[in-house]
Amino acid sequence: MAIRINPQLIDVLDRFGAEDVQLCYQCGDCTTVCHHADEVFAFPRKSMRQLQMGLEQKIETALEPWLCYYCGQCSEQCPREADPGETMMSLRRWLIGRYDFTGIAKQFFKSRVTEILAVVGVAVLTGLFLFYYGFTRGNINVYDGEGAFLPSDFIHRFDLIIGSVMLLFVIINAARMWYFTMIMGSKVAIPWWLYIKHILVLPWQFFTQKRYAKCENERDKPIFMPWIIHLGLMLGYLIMLLLVMVFIEQLQTGPAINWKVHIFGYLATIGLTIGTIYFIRSRLSKNYVQYKKSHGTDWVFVTMLFIIVVTGIAQHILHRVGLFESANVMYVVHLMVVVPWLLRMPFSKWAHLVYRPLGMYFAAIQKEAILRQEAISGTFAISIK
Amino acid sequence: MEKCRIGVYICMCGTNIAKIVDVDAVVDYISKLPNVVLARTYKYMCSNPGQEMIVQDIKENKLNRLVVAACSPSMHERTFRAALRKAGINQYLFEMANIREQCSWVHDDIKEATEKAMALTRAAVRRVELHESLESMTVDMCPQSLVIGGGIAGMTAALELADAGHVVHLVEKNNHLGGNLARVDLTAPYLYSARDLVTERITRIHNNKQVHLYLNSKVTGLTGFVGNFTATLAEQNGSKKQNEVKIGNVVVCTGYKEFDASRITHYGYGKLPNVITSFELERMIRTGRIETKEGKIPKYVAIIHCVGSRSLEFHAYCSRVCCMTALKYAHEIKSANPGCYISDVYIDMHAFGKGHEDFYRRSSEAKTLFLMYEKNERPVIRRAGPKDKCEMLIEVNEKLSGETIEIPADLIILMVGMEAREDSGEVARLVNISQDKEGWFIESHPKLEPVATTTDGIFIAGTCVAPKDIPDTVAQARATAARILAKISKGKIEVDAVYSEVNEDVCSGCRFCNNLCPFSAIEYNEEKKHSHVISALCKACGVCVAACPSSAIKGRHFTDSQILVQIDGLLDPVQ
Repeated sequence: MAIRINPQLIDVLDRFGAEDVQLCYQCGDCTTVCHHADEVFAFPRKSMRQLQMGLEQKIETALEPWLCYYCGQCSEQCPREADPGETMMSLRRWLIGRYDFTGIAKQFFKSRVTEILAVVGVAVLTGLFLFYYGFTRGNINVYDGEGAFLPSDFIHRFDLIIGSVMLLFVIINAARMWYFTMIMGSKVAIPWWLYIKHILVLPWQFFTQKRYAKCENERDKPIFMPWIIHLGLMLGYLIMLLLVMVFIEQLQTGPAINWKVHIFGYLATIGLTIGTIYFIRSRLSKNYVQYKKSHGTDWVFVTMLFIIVVTGIAQHILHRVGLFESANVMYVVHLMVVVPWLLRMPFSKWAHLVYRPLGMYFAAIQKEAILRQEAISGTFAISIK
Repeated sequence: MEKCRIGVYICMCGTNIAKIVDVDAVVDYISKLPNVVLARTYKYMCSNPGQEMIVQDIKENKLNRLVVAACSPSMHERTFRAALRKAGINQYLFEMANIREQCSWVHDDIKEATEKAMALTRAAVRRVELHESLESMTVDMCPQSLVIGGGIAGMTAALELADAGHVVHLVEKNNHLGGNLARVDLTAPYLYSARDLVTERITRIHNNKQVHLYLNSKVTGLTGFVGNFTATLAEQNGSKKQNEVKIGNVVVCTGYKEFDASRITHYGYGKLPNVITSFELERMIRTGRIETKEGKIPKYVAIIHCVGSRSLEFHAYCSRVCCMTALKYAHEIKSANPGCYISDVYIDMHAFGKGHEDFYRRSSEAKTLFLMYEKNERPVIRRAGPKDKCEMLIEVNEKLSGETIEIPADLIILMVGMEAREDSGEVARLVNISQDKEGWFIESHPKLEPVATTTDGIFIAGTCVAPKDIPDTVAQARATAARILAKISKGKIEVDAVYSEVNEDVCSGCRFCNNLCPFSAIEYNEEKKHSHVISALCKACGVCVAACPSSAIKGRHFTDSQILVQIDGLLDPVQ
């Protein structure tokens, strides 16, 4: 059955960052240099081609974009400056939009104004709500304990609500991802036990990002720095999320520092600070191929993260030096960024935190299913994929 | 007759000959033959010292015949003939024995190879004894030229010759100049206007008194030989007026015709109204509106390459210009209608010329979608259904993705290839040149003589030789002019002394030879009732000599006795 091509898709992806994909003439250099491409997942070449031809359904159900960590070597090698690395990146953005059932993500990626307005709107609402709560229930001059402006049990409940909303979206979108890639996209039947066999891929790739360490490029052989910083940023973020969601009441226990909890807080802050500064600097100086092009959402992402880190640190210092009024104001400001940040997560680049390990997990399953099928039937199943 | 004093040289050709042929043994053997005054070997006879040795030996030993046993005469006969001339003896008193290509290169037994070399050399020695001094003759070169075809090639050649001050007769079958280029809008890759290229030339031709233009005319007859042709030019309209012109050289630039797209049934050309050929699109572009037959602006345009070219069924060759022309269309259509999507369905993108690769890249930048199909697996076009939101669908097995796809299209352009014109056979017979199996005219050497033919004085240029683009066509046209101008400036042409002669007393006038001669070099004299050879046209192939039932024809330098004695020399046992 012939598949209808859609020459217009390339124009859509242009807004997601795939500005040069039309230059590709399919030499395959990118796939040759890529350390993650193999006989089953021959990207970026194949993804580039599917995008050029507008094979929408193929791209929607593809796992390849999640197997790429964007070391940029393909873009360095490309004889036509078609920027396969950035194309894979833009496919990830587009896929995040596709997996998202609300359509919010698509709007964010397409229009920076929409995204900023949404972020600002949520921030203002959060600020108004917190100030209203603080002034009606507590005292601006009290940071913790009795009469606190934002008491920790309240913040804990508040965090859990926000976190649950976020998680709900993430779970629904991840389920959609599974349906697209494993049900619609798989050319072979997948035995259920493969899901169990490969389950460890998920935590392993999630916590170590070892796959990223396999990348290489002209500057980094292997790509150690970006990997370790990326990992540090992710772990810092994760620890901080855990602290805020679960241990917020232990963090906010009055004048004494609870070192059992705080030591994690400080470690997480170091990871977040270094990571954020590193990525902002890279994007500003465009010092490497993967930082040459920054989509609007990338800037929103790093800017918000930077504000969160700075306000978080400031709030902590102000509290410690006893400037409780300022600490409370800083707390509200901090939460004004954190809340939209958390709510934005399923609709933004941050969603790759979930999709990437899932993608690798699904890919491992699919690959084995395909190779098994091949061994049984003796046909080259890959050619039909 | 003075006594023969023969010098024989056995070349070692480095080790090419010497490693298989015992050259000293050959020298020993040959030096004992009658009339051989001296025999030598040398490392490279063709080298300057080798030639010097020959000149000196001739002078010192009063040699009057010479044999060199070395490579093929097609390689170095000229070299050694020049040495003879330098030493002051007639260049035809020389014979070459080929002991390399015909001996050392094809044998591995030293004894047998040496004996064969001895036999070959002995045959040459026997033959050279019977050689006669021959003088080549010269004939006058008429400075006027005939150019057949008024396209870009013909106009360029004519102007080049006329600007050098010579009269040119330019014959064009149509009622206007310009040829196929006059049907084109812009040219790839620099997007120069074709009209500008053509009109500039037409104006110059009209203003140049040296160019005698014959529109609506054909060449109906050509007689004579290089430097001295007579051409008959006939007007094709009612008047039936005929002109006879005397010319020295002819340039054939009759061009091509486009492939008939309806021969490929898959494409529905002639049945589907919005499947058009490249020339039909050119016409649309020139009228300023690219639209479907229904008058709508097409949203999806597909361009299909290699229509009639590069296929087993039609023509195996590449038509060379279509790839870049297709990119030009993509550019022109996109400029006229920026919202349009263009699919370029190709086999291979041949972007070989100057500026072509860059042009290809720019087409990619403009988001032309390139889709590759398998050489002998043609796309299939069908009418789209009401839900398809387009006029037609092209189904094709896309090679780069490995997918069978459907391409939406409202307008489909078939890049029709080039074909030899239907009247090219007639032209070939008229000017006595050959055609290849596709009908293109054959050049005398594809690399070194790209515009000459095997008939002296007949030159070919442009797309009547093979498909080519405008720069190559113009370069060829100018090359023909350069070749002709060189001949004109010499004033006379030398004719090789080796040709056949008819003994008129013996000739019975049977005219067998007239029809056999592949060069049309034999004429029949009705008054005297016998044939005679036009020596300037004769290539000394020997067909007439062999065919003559009265043995009235003699091949100069290839007389019966010369050949027979050579055969004897070859077959006699080596002692």
